[in-house]
Amino acid sequence: MTRPPGLIYAVDETPPRAILIVSALQHIGLMAITLIFPIILAREANLSRIQFLDLISLSMLGLGVANICFCIRTRLIGSGYLCGAAYTAIFLGPSLFALQRGGLALVFGMTVVGGIVQVALAPLLHRLRALLPSEIAGLVIAVVGLTLAGLGVRYGLGISPQQQKINPDYMIVAGISLVTMTVLNVWSKGYGRMFCVLIGMVVGYVVSAGLGIFDLAGIVPEGGLSVVRLPRIQHVGWSFDPVLVAPFVVASLAATLRAMGDVSNAQRINDADWVRPNFASLAGGVSANGVAVIFCGLVGGCGINTYSSTIGLSGATGVTSRSVGYAIGVGFCALAFIPPLALVLAAMPLPVMGAALFFTAAFVFTSGLQMITARMLDARKTLVIGFSFAMAVVADLYHEALTEVPNVLQPIFGNGLVLGTVCAVVLNLIMRIGVRQQVSIKLPPGGINREAVERFLSEQGARWAARRDIMRRAIFGVVQVLEVVGDPPGGVEIEASFDEFDLDIRIRYVGALLTIPERKPTPREIVESEQGERLLAGYLLRQSADCITAHENGASVEMLLHYDH
Amino acid sequence: MNALSIGQTRAGGVCIVTLSGRIDSTSASDVMAELTRLISSGEKSILVDLGAVLYLTSAAFRALLVATDEAERRAAKLALCNLAGHVRELFEMGGLLDVFAIHNSREDALKQLGGPRAP
Repeated sequence: MTRPPGLIYAVDETPPRAILIVSALQHIGLMAITLIFPIILAREANLSRIQFLDLISLSMLGLGVANICFCIRTRLIGSGYLCGAAYTAIFLGPSLFALQRGGLALVFGMTVVGGIVQVALAPLLHRLRALLPSEIAGLVIAVVGLTLAGLGVRYGLGISPQQQKINPDYMIVAGISLVTMTVLNVWSKGYGRMFCVLIGMVVGYVVSAGLGIFDLAGIVPEGGLSVVRLPRIQHVGWSFDPVLVAPFVVASLAATLRAMGDVSNAQRINDADWVRPNFASLAGGVSANGVAVIFCGLVGGCGINTYSSTIGLSGATGVTSRSVGYAIGVGFCALAFIPPLALVLAAMPLPVMGAALFFTAAFVFTSGLQMITARMLDARKTLVIGFSFAMAVVADLYHEALTEVPNVLQPIFGNGLVLGTVCAVVLNLIMRIGVRQQVSIKLPPGGINREAVERFLSEQGARWAARRDIMRRAIFGVVQVLEVVGDPPGGVEIEASFDEFDLDIRIRYVGALLTIPERKPTPREIVESEQGERLLAGYLLRQSADCITAHENGASVEMLLHYDH
Repeated sequence: MNALSIGQTRAGGVCIVTLSGRIDSTSASDVMAELTRLISSGEKSILVDLGAVLYLTSAAFRALLVATDEAERRAAKLALCNLAGHVRELFEMGGLLDVFAIHNSREDALKQLGGPRAP
């Protein structure tokens, strides 16, 4: 892992306490924007003010637990990176559908189901990598960036579906807030750059208060507020409906892809040499997402996901320390028990939300584009990305027309991100037809030409645009096998097949089966006999290939060297 | 193409053997023969520079192990330096990093072997 030059505090470093706290507050401010989704749900469910307060407090508790789950680094749960959590529009469509069919209990029950789907998907990610490649995760991130920018514009200008007019006061607040963030991020250093979003938001609150936009009184419960309060779960119950399984599974798949994209992005921000995602960290991130969603469903919240904006923020500020993630988690857990502060965040003026969303969307969108173009795009990938991106945009442009599709397809066509994701996954699956390429070479007996084999594989690797390090390992493997088998009577046949994710080399010859020991031979064994050298050869082959097998069929032997690409 | 070449220089009391190209079963015997010859001729400090080696196979490892064994028997020192990239990876895969005296650079190796600074 090579540290990128712009990083101030990397993932394993702990900033001084003051910077840690202010960084965490900045992320908390940004994440609090997404409380809009549980708020929408609460309003649609006609909750009383006290129930509304409970739902906000419990949603904050969910955010706290989710942030800690995402950042921890254990074998089963956690990405190990600063990867923020937030409520997401992905689950909003299915949740509103569930609310109509069976009330909040059905929303919470089906949210738990969504979480279970993610936990089940997490260990399969490596096997599913051909179906969910990093460019699709990049596409999801880019679409999320566009969606955030769109939301930012709507909130920032005060545009609503009912009133397609710009509110001048909102524009002033959003403009001042956005200019503050941008100026600090581009033309300042140190604290100014690190806390640009937080400072911009505080400035936005002050201007909003001056213009009368910041209205806290409207959401304070009738009986007033105590400073510390235990949130109640009286409104929480759980029920299930098989009809809603499909939309929640699709939402979970989209959330999984987004989590994969976000964790990959967090890995990339921390490593200048990033080429492909680390799947252990991705699986940990997705299982953490699943656990967090289950927790939110159990305590009465809605679906949660990784938050692209916080990854964008950490990239913009150069503070990617995992400790900040823990501080965010603790902060949200504390806020859940302090209603006045929770309500201040829940009452964040819309233009302030708009400015913060629009600012971070720029970083999210460009990160997505970078992930898409990190690998060479051939015609297949170009079509998968291009069509899916267009479909995601179309879903938002022609939202009204798409509401005509059957109810069961509504969760897919009603949300640009979900439609784009489903389109990308399906197209990618179709485009994989005929993607595997295969070549072979026959080496006649009477002096096996190892240099010719090396040249053949090198040239083929270049044609396939295969990674050089993988081809080097494969060439070593073939040369090592040829060295041990010598000059068999019928010659040797080598067959190489490649797709973007796998390189398989089959070596066929007539002769003895090569021993592939699990135990490393001792130096004494290697020195004392040529059999020791053969054992070392087998051991090196086992270590250099991701999987190696050897089968005997009569006098013929077939060896398979497999390399993950 | 990239056949093995063996060069030899001297830095004080240390004989530096520079290997470049590929070391496989066809060329490993040349390496073993050269190192054994140097040890038999009374060299007490030999440094094998692998910086220009493209790859090596099990035969090369055996040649280096045999030479190291021979050096120990004759109370001579044999060290390796400049293992980089794929070559270092192969040493790691074979679990052979601890078996040899390995130095990051020629300069480090010469300090340890008691010779003057690298030219």
